This record gives sequence, C-alpha cells and structure tokens, in this order.
Amino acid sequence: MLPPFALEEPTSVHEASALLARYGETARLYAGGTELLLAMKEGLLRYECLINIKLIPELAGIALEDGVLHIGAITTHRTLERSPVVHAHFPAVAEMAAHVANVRVREVGTLGGNLCFAEPHADPGTLLLVHDASVALARQGGTHTLALEQFFVGPFEVVLADDEILTAIQVPALPAHTAAAYLKYGLLERPSVGVAVAVTALPNQVQEVRIAVGCVGPTPRRLRDVEGLLNQKELPEVRAALDTAGALAGSAADAVTDLHGSAEYKAYLVGVLLRRAFERAYQQAIGANAGDAERGRGTA
Amino acid sequence: MRFETQVTVHVPRQSLWDFLWDVPRLTACVPGCEAAQEIEPHIRYQAVVRDKVGPFTLRVPLAVEVLEATAPVQLRARAQGRDAAVQSLVKVELTLVLVETNAQTTTLQVSADVTVLGKLGTLGHSVIVRRGEAVVAQFANAIQAALSQEVT
Repeated sequence: MLPPFALEEPTSVHEASALLARYGETARLYAGGTELLLAMKEGLLRYECLINIKLIPELAGIALEDGVLHIGAITTHRTLERSPVVHAHFPAVAEMAAHVANVRVREVGTLGGNLCFAEPHADPGTLLLVHDASVALARQGGTHTLALEQFFVGPFEVVLADDEILTAIQVPALPAHTAAAYLKYGLLERPSVGVAVAVTALPNQVQEVRIAVGCVGPTPRRLRDVEGLLNQKELPEVRAALDTAGALAGSAADAVTDLHGSAEYKAYLVGVLLRRAFERAYQQAIGANAGDAERGRGTA
Repeated sequence: MRFETQVTVHVPRQSLWDFLWDVPRLTACVPGCEAAQEIEPHIRYQAVVRDKVGPFTLRVPLAVEVLEATAPVQLRARAQGRDAAVQSLVKVELTLVLVETNAQTTTLQVSADVTVLGKLGTLGHSVIVRRGEAVVAQFANAIQAALSQEVT
C-alpha cells in the first residue's frame, strides 16, 4: 500500500526548486511515478512529500529549433513515440520510445523521470548518448546545460543538486548521412543489454561510428575507444573489425553476473547487438543519402 | 552471490589475527557499520550496518556468530539480519584466510557468500551484486590501510 504523503503542486520551476530546498531529502519530485510509486508501495522509499511537477507548463512540449530537438522533461514516452516531429527527424528515438516497457508505462512514464531515476536497465539514456544529447538543469539560482554523458553517476544516482530540476532534454540532429539504431535483448521484465549505434556513412565508406552500451554496467556509457576502431574506414574493413570491436565493447561494458545472465554472456550479447545495430544504422544512413539528395538536405 | 578478494598486509600473521578480534578496529573497516558490540567473546557479536544506493537506504541489525576460529589461519563467521522497513533478509557467510607470505607479510583472503531476500530484490540484482563486490573490496582495503598505519 502507498504510505501517506503530502502533495505539493507548484506551477513553476522556481517554485518547485524552492519546495525541494525547503523539504530536503524528505521530498521527491513526482511526474509519471512509474518507478517512484512502485518503490514507495514496496516500502523501499519513503517521502513525507511528493512534488507534482506535471502542472508546470515550461516542462512540457516537444520542439525542433535550429536542428535541436527540445523535449520537455515531463514528456511521456508515448508522446515521444507518437510525435510527428520526432518520427520525421529522430526516427531511432521514436522507435526506442515505442518499445520502453509496456504501453501503460509509456502512457504515464516521462523521459525526464526515466533519466533522473537512473535505473540501470533503462533504454533512453543509451540511445541519447549517441545523439550527443544534453540536459537542461534549473534551480532557484539559475540554469545550466550538461552533457548527458556527465549526468549519470551510478545506479539510481545523477548529478542533480538537492534543489535542482531537470527541465528539458536537448537532442542535436545527427550529422548529414547519419542514422542511429538501438537494439536491446532481455528475458526478464527489463532489458539485460542495450546497444546504440550511430553511423555516418556513404556507400561502402564509413566516416564515423558512435557506440553506447546500457543495462550491462552501472550506467549507460559511450565507448569512444571502441568507436576509434571503426572510424574513417572502408565498409569491408569495418565489418572485419566488428568482432574485435564487439569483444572490446563487451569488456568495456563492465558486466557483472546476475539474474540477467553471466557477465560473459552479457559481454557476448553486446558484441552481437553491436554488429546488428551497426548494420541497421549503416543501411539507414546510406538509404538516407538517396533521400537527402531528393530533399537537398541530410538528416537521419 | 559470492564475492572474493585478497590483500597483502605487511604484518606478521599473528598480528593480523589479533586485529581480527579487536572489535572497534575491525568494525571500523566494515563499510557502513554504525555500531558493534561483543555479546560472548569469540562467539557472538551484534552490529548494525547501513548502506545507501541512490535514494535507497538499507539499515540492517546483524547477529554475528563465529562458526570457526583456527588461530591464526582461518576465521569463519555468519552475519544475519532483517531490515524491517524494506522487509528484506540479509545473510553473509564470511571466510577470512590468513596466508603467511614471510615472517613480516601476510596475505588476507576474503570470501563472502551473500544472500539478499525480500523486496530489496526490486532494486535490481545487478546493483546488489555490484555493491557487494565494492563492499568486500572496501573491507579488505580498509584492513590493509589500518595495519599499514600500524607499521609506519
């Protein structure tokens, strides 16, 4: 049963930040509540007060401005999944959102909440890393932007200050001739392994590969050392190097043996998904080239 | 879940063995140990251990029972307790093996079989595994550090 708590309903970020400062550790922000309320019902978390931020207009909405997708923190996975703007310009994000958990979670769970709760077996953070996404953070004293890569600290831990709020996620458009893919695999409720790859390529010529792995380690992480093995190469060379890259990525993912499988199994899966995600992103990237020529522009 | 590590300490094996029975000094090496007391010397002890992962806090009163003490070679103990708030049982079977490298150096082998039952599993098994590895490593390193200070 959900224990009793006070409910605050601020209508501005400033007001919400002031409430966080006032209540300290006895309060928590509440948006979708898909993780928070579950943990509270189980008795794993107790708060005297929940601060409902769903009434704050500046935290809502999706907008594409100067090639950057601004996603309000309280945007639900379902909204992302169904957004025409996201579909048109960030198809991998729309596809990932469409496969988060189940439709009940997607309907109320928010992207900001997902990132802030930092559950290690989550999808969005991994894909957003290959998009070089950043997060906008605000508190009473001001605002600043932080690379998503620096946002995650550990399982269930992010860098937010006590009175700070994640207000938006900013996703830059991928470079021309680039496409991204996110693949995951798992036998349990949450994914065991998630791999995101973004490929910039012309036919048979790979210019840049971005790789991120999630669910396996304590936080999603970009694997820049592995990316270096695949950049600026002919396609056959890249394909030949994918086994080595997969093994390195599996090792760098920092897997542990747990209910999702042995560390060796998960490291192997990272390699398998890396190869598949690369092929999917590459095919879309070179397919997008034809479209780019027609449209006179280059986006994924 | 089984966690293992080992550290080398630059003290004779007997000194390390004596350290393991020095309750205040040993419990200072246990991450999150808030209180410990001797109930029956060399047989039963009590301790409270607290740990935190993100917003999740665990506080477990542990009953510690010495299962085997073969001086100055091996110590086995079982610690068991329940966090009432999160209704989770924590059970640890700890084995410490002291291997004499030379007259002034000893290798301490630490092995912990850990069982966590109950709602804490909601946190995610992988988080518990990772935290367990870290705690065992911190424990061994803290013993090493404590005894290094003694030497210097």
